[in-house]
Amino acid sequence: MSRTIPVALRLALAVALAVALAGCRGPRSSTEQTISQLGSTTALPLAQEWRKAYNAAHPEVDIAVSGGGSGTGIKALISGTAQIANASREIKAEEIEQAKAAGVDPVEHVVAYDGIAVIVHPSNPIALLSVEQVSDLFAGKATDWGDVTAKGLGEVQLISRDSASGTYEAFKELVVTLGGADKSRDYAPQALKQASNQAILTMVAQTKTAIGYVGLGYLDESVKALDIVPLGGEKAVAPAPGSVLDGTYPISRPLYCYTNGEPTGVLKEYLDWIKGPEGQGIVERLGFVPASGEAAERPGSER
Amino acid sequence: MKHKGHHAGEWLAERIVQVAGVLAIVFVVLIFVFLLREATPVLRAYSPWKMLTGRGWFPTAEPPEFGLLPLLLGSLYVTLGALGIAVPLGLACAIFIGEVAPKRLREWLKPAVELLAAVPSVVFGFVGLLLLGPWLAERLALPVGQFAALGSLLLAFMAIPTIVSVSEDALRAVPRTLRENSLALGATQWQTICRVVFPAARSGILAAVLLGLGRAIGETMTVLMVTGNAAVVPAGFSGFLRPVRTMTATIAAEMGETAYQTPHYHALFAIGLVLFLIAFAVNVIADLATRRAAGVGR
Repeated sequence: MSRTIPVALRLALAVALAVALAGCRGPRSSTEQTISQLGSTTALPLAQEWRKAYNAAHPEVDIAVSGGGSGTGIKALISGTAQIANASREIKAEEIEQAKAAGVDPVEHVVAYDGIAVIVHPSNPIALLSVEQVSDLFAGKATDWGDVTAKGLGEVQLISRDSASGTYEAFKELVVTLGGADKSRDYAPQALKQASNQAILTMVAQTKTAIGYVGLGYLDESVKALDIVPLGGEKAVAPAPGSVLDGTYPISRPLYCYTNGEPTGVLKEYLDWIKGPEGQGIVERLGFVPASGEAAERPGSER
Repeated sequence: MKHKGHHAGEWLAERIVQVAGVLAIVFVVLIFVFLLREATPVLRAYSPWKMLTGRGWFPTAEPPEFGLLPLLLGSLYVTLGALGIAVPLGLACAIFIGEVAPKRLREWLKPAVELLAAVPSVVFGFVGLLLLGPWLAERLALPVGQFAALGSLLLAFMAIPTIVSVSEDALRAVPRTLRENSLALGATQWQTICRVVFPAARSGILAAVLLGLGRAIGETMTVLMVTGNAAVVPAGFSGFLRPVRTMTATIAAEMGETAYQTPHYHALFAIGLVLFLIAFAVNVIADLATRRAAGVGR
């Protein structure tokens, strides 16, 4: 026999094997021991810590965690590749429609609250801004720091998340559109778009004239977080877990986990654990605000 | 028996290779058809001309705006800036390696330059984002360390290996007799390079430049990290020192968020279609140029 046959056969075998392997993949929702959880990058540090702590007690449950953005997570839930979608915004009406069309029933679980801090370079003399002023800046109505009392600092550099981010949507809803009062306002086109909370932090720390926004959990010494005067309010409130919890800090939103239908079995145990004292302890430790014990559970489709 | 088995094996191997070759073409066609199909709804709803000349990219506003001009010009600025740096450097490098450097040095230099192509683009992005960007912004008194020219600079480093490698091959394909005749007629080495070797390798060098262009315009990760991604229409020379947003970065940044089958989703595929057509045109021209070069070499 010549040597060409085994080579050709090997090639054919390799192709057959590749096809067979590809055929094995697909929705894994039937195997309850594996939980795939992805979405919001804001919630990503939370999800990673939850996974670590839960796995230590329940090694038999295989949890895969990744980011990608709230929209990515919800898409994965609809296509059946994820069992839990993390989101830092509510599911959109059109996403609910698509889920229904695909036979998926998204159920919402509030797992934590997060404040969004408005940050500037530490050398910036400003200590507080009103929601209206922050909106003017991000909508491009005010382009010089002099317009918001910091004379001589020059042109404002806006640092925003990219539109794959739930924080981008939440900040637009809560601040740029003045809580939905002025829907015509949107981010100014000159705003720099960054792919993560960390990237915003880095850019603001590097740029003297920058203003940006990050989740509370990301705040550190490299930037200055501004106190914020709520819409129609008079007193500026500092961003902190306490002021988010009592509702005085105006820029805060819930973080959600979405599941397909009411969770059962291993998935239910995991979500109950997240909402329980251990999971919520991690929420607090990472600088987020715990959702109260009776965390809201309502079908996403009822809005 | 032995004879027959040999033929059967050869036949099978030939078919497999043939199928692989045909599949490559089929895939390109399928990708084009897929892009066209996914982009069609938005091209119907908003006229293609209006999209290409629209100055506002606000895909999540109500109503959305899908103006591709800032993205198209953003890609153009970054890419042309990259070529402006990479072509002179790359050609000088190719001439040095191919014509001037002693043989031993050449054997070290070419693999070293080609090694540059092995650096992952995200590494270039990190260097630009954390070191080069802030440093340049301070030296040039720029307000912010993410701008078009920074992307150009990093892309230039990524395009240089392609340009050096392909144009050095083109220079080497020039017959030795041409050089010897030129030198025999009393021309200096420099005169020989600029007036004889370089013109003879022209088509191959054009192909090298176009392949470098293709490398630069399709690059995503680096530009996403360092150009700031602000969808503004760049203007004049100062546009190089301002943040821009390229087509590739737009697709990469927004595909994760768009809800499936919405106008925004289709608009991203329309950008993909534009990119595909540009890359296709560049490759066809590069291919024609290489063919001409091969003809000249013979």
